[in-house]
Amino acid sequence: MLLLQLIINGIQVGALYGLTAVGFSLIFGATKIFHFAHGASFAISAYVFYYLYAVLLVWWPISILAACIVVVVFGVALDRYVYGPIQSTDGSFFTIFVGSFGVAVVVQNLIGTVFGRGFISVPSALSKSVELAPGLYVAPTAAIAVVIAVACFVALQLFLGRTNIGIAMRALSESPALVRTFGLNPKAVSTCAFALGSLLVVPAAVLTSMTSGLNAAIGGRVMLISVAATIVGGVGSLRGAACAGLLLGIAENLALWRFDPQWSEAATFLILFAFIVLRPSGFFGRAVNS
Amino acid sequence: MLQMSKAPALPATLLEIVNLTKSFEGVKAVDDVSLHLREGIITTLVGPNGAGKTTLFNLITGHLRPTAGDIRWQGDSVVGTAPWKIAQLGVARTFQDLRLFSHMTVFENVLTVMENSAWFWQSEAGSVTERRRRVHEILDATGLVHKAEVRANDLAYAERKFLSLARIMATKAKMWLLDEPASGLDPGSYERFVTLLRNEVRRGITICIIEHNLEIVVSISDRISFLDQGRLLADGEPDEILSNPELSSIYFGERNP
Amino acid sequence: MIAYLINLATLVCINAILAITLNFIMGYAGIFSLAHAVFFGVGAYVAAFMALQWTDSLLFQLVAAMLLAGLLSAALALPALRVRGDYFVAASLGFQVLATTVFSEWKSVTGGIGGLVGIPPASIAGHAITDPVEFFGLAAVALALVVVLTTAIVRSSFGRSLKAIRDSESAALAFGKNVALIKTLSVFYSTAMCAVAGVLYADYLSFINVESFTIDASTLFMAMVIVGGIGTVWGPIVGAVLLTLLPAALTYLPFLPRTEIGSVQQMIYGLAMVLLMIFKPDGLMGAKQGEA
Repeated sequence: MLLLQLIINGIQVGALYGLTAVGFSLIFGATKIFHFAHGASFAISAYVFYYLYAVLLVWWPISILAACIVVVVFGVALDRYVYGPIQSTDGSFFTIFVGSFGVAVVVQNLIGTVFGRGFISVPSALSKSVELAPGLYVAPTAAIAVVIAVACFVALQLFLGRTNIGIAMRALSESPALVRTFGLNPKAVSTCAFALGSLLVVPAAVLTSMTSGLNAAIGGRVMLISVAATIVGGVGSLRGAACAGLLLGIAENLALWRFDPQWSEAATFLILFAFIVLRPSGFFGRAVNS
Repeated sequence: MLQMSKAPALPATLLEIVNLTKSFEGVKAVDDVSLHLREGIITTLVGPNGAGKTTLFNLITGHLRPTAGDIRWQGDSVVGTAPWKIAQLGVARTFQDLRLFSHMTVFENVLTVMENSAWFWQSEAGSVTERRRRVHEILDATGLVHKAEVRANDLAYAERKFLSLARIMATKAKMWLLDEPASGLDPGSYERFVTLLRNEVRRGITICIIEHNLEIVVSISDRISFLDQGRLLADGEPDEILSNPELSSIYFGERNP
Repeated sequence: MIAYLINLATLVCINAILAITLNFIMGYAGIFSLAHAVFFGVGAYVAAFMALQWTDSLLFQLVAAMLLAGLLSAALALPALRVRGDYFVAASLGFQVLATTVFSEWKSVTGGIGGLVGIPPASIAGHAITDPVEFFGLAAVALALVVVLTTAIVRSSFGRSLKAIRDSESAALAFGKNVALIKTLSVFYSTAMCAVAGVLYADYLSFINVESFTIDASTLFMAMVIVGGIGTVWGPIVGAVLLTLLPAALTYLPFLPRTEIGSVQQMIYGLAMVLLMIFKPDGLMGAKQGEA
């Protein structure tokens, strides 16, 4: 029963990891920007939601909407005012990575200063567990997480497959020149990728604030998982990132079966390292040896 | 040299390509190509874009692994050998996009190519003074002496092309694979370039060159191999290849759509 | 006041060694590691553990720490370096997270979260170094040696090979450079020297815990390299001086609560990293790049 419990917990966490990783992977695929501050996006939306809903007691749809708006503005502003200028002068992987990393550092410390560094969580009836079977506790958030993750992923696939800008976004990962033949401005496509990619962290951020809780350093953790899932899933494959996110979530929870909780992050690292050694192209990826 | 290649007996084979195939996700970039690259001559690979010429280079140097077939260097298979080992066997190359060591000076670009050992002692490269003297000679020959301390990034276009050539001259390779080395050169630079190559061939270097410009192809080739869509369509003396109407229609069809 | 300055100067020396060794792989080999603090920690824990259990001999501590850090990094680097640069960043980030857990959980060796206390002073040829001024001298000599050695390597044929790989890995391969071996050697050197800083740190403070070896520390070292100027000789030293003195300078701001100093410091260098990348990607000393 413990095993089943851990798997269910893993699926809940993994669905959210998958969604976040898909956001990172979407941005990386469409713009080639290693958006290290994706974790910062997660932290920002989670804290905006927490502050409005749990502190100011704003109605929940408004709180979520506000989190969405803030995180989209944050992502798009980064693209415009940080990555854009860097790309126009240097644009190497390194400069973008450092710029992005700097943003992540600033955001983490701002949050720590404003909200404190301790753990906080949003009380909600949704995270109250129900005993489904003897020893098996499941909260409504688990079902919500899975349903929302699947819905978002399906919606994203439809968007990428059916709309002009969605197709262009996929094309941009192949060749920037191709996008101009669609009559679309690569800048607009990049903005759209950042808006969408950032938006995808909101469900995970909100649900995480209700379940396992938040702290100021959560961005770094989210970042590790997003990058790991992108690599394990295969760079450029959204499906891969989603599956890998799920896998990492389950693995982290299964690790609890035998090890103390502080070792659960080690599971992420071991899977990442195994893939880098044994199958660097990931589940669905192409060969990536530079 | 031209005379020699027109003699009935062909020079010995330095590198042999046997039924070589490379597919990318089902698309055959190189399709069952067999080819002899012969000692001491200039073989030119021609063909429209996407014919698989650069892929062929990447296969020879070990940057790509063939799907099927074999590559033999002086009779021994080199398939699966690491690129740096193949280079040390004696195959050097240039890149279409040059890939200079852009933040290093011109002098360092040439010097580092001589220093093949991963450790601190360079037993095979000669003493430091010896190396420096050779770098000077090479820079002199390529007209880059006055730019020795300039960063590769800060060179003009033609200078970058010559640095790419200077780098390959610094190797001890017997065979050079040159990927469009003359494209975009002005006529004056181009003259110097051809003279340089001819001198090197006289020294015993074997050259395989990818070139689009027909004028250059005519003036430089001892043999021509014609590729299209990954397949080797023809391989022979320049005259017979260039006078073949079928081949020129493929070639010019692509050039002037 | 003198004691305070000597203390700062000693820490500057230790941080400068860390920044120089990180710059060696970032600036010359093009390897971006977020795990530098791990090898700093390995050096510190080895020294502390040996001092507490077996010997206070600085020489033995140094040899053991350098070997262990170097071998550990080589084991990590060999597989991870075969793949793209962004993968290595991810792998090193994961490794840093894992190592932080090991540092705080392996209680029998690292003392857990509480760390190791009462580390006896190190000794050279039987002479225990207890005087802060003497210790500063030791740190300064170590820094000088690292600067000289690193500069010599950078200017040697090995250094040229490294820079060639950084600028174009595929071209370096095509010209016969054993890229994997050269990169692994450079990582070995960098982390072994980084462990030297760890040994000095443990012996100097006589108290260590995991907080000095977390991702925040790795970030700080990276910021030192970037602020000073990556790929330059003096850049990392300038960066180490600036960022070591920054928290000390911040304590003079009366309106800043003491608990927020660490946070404010991180915000400042985070912001500096962003602004530098936008306006001056070569860092403060960057104009001199290429001389190396």
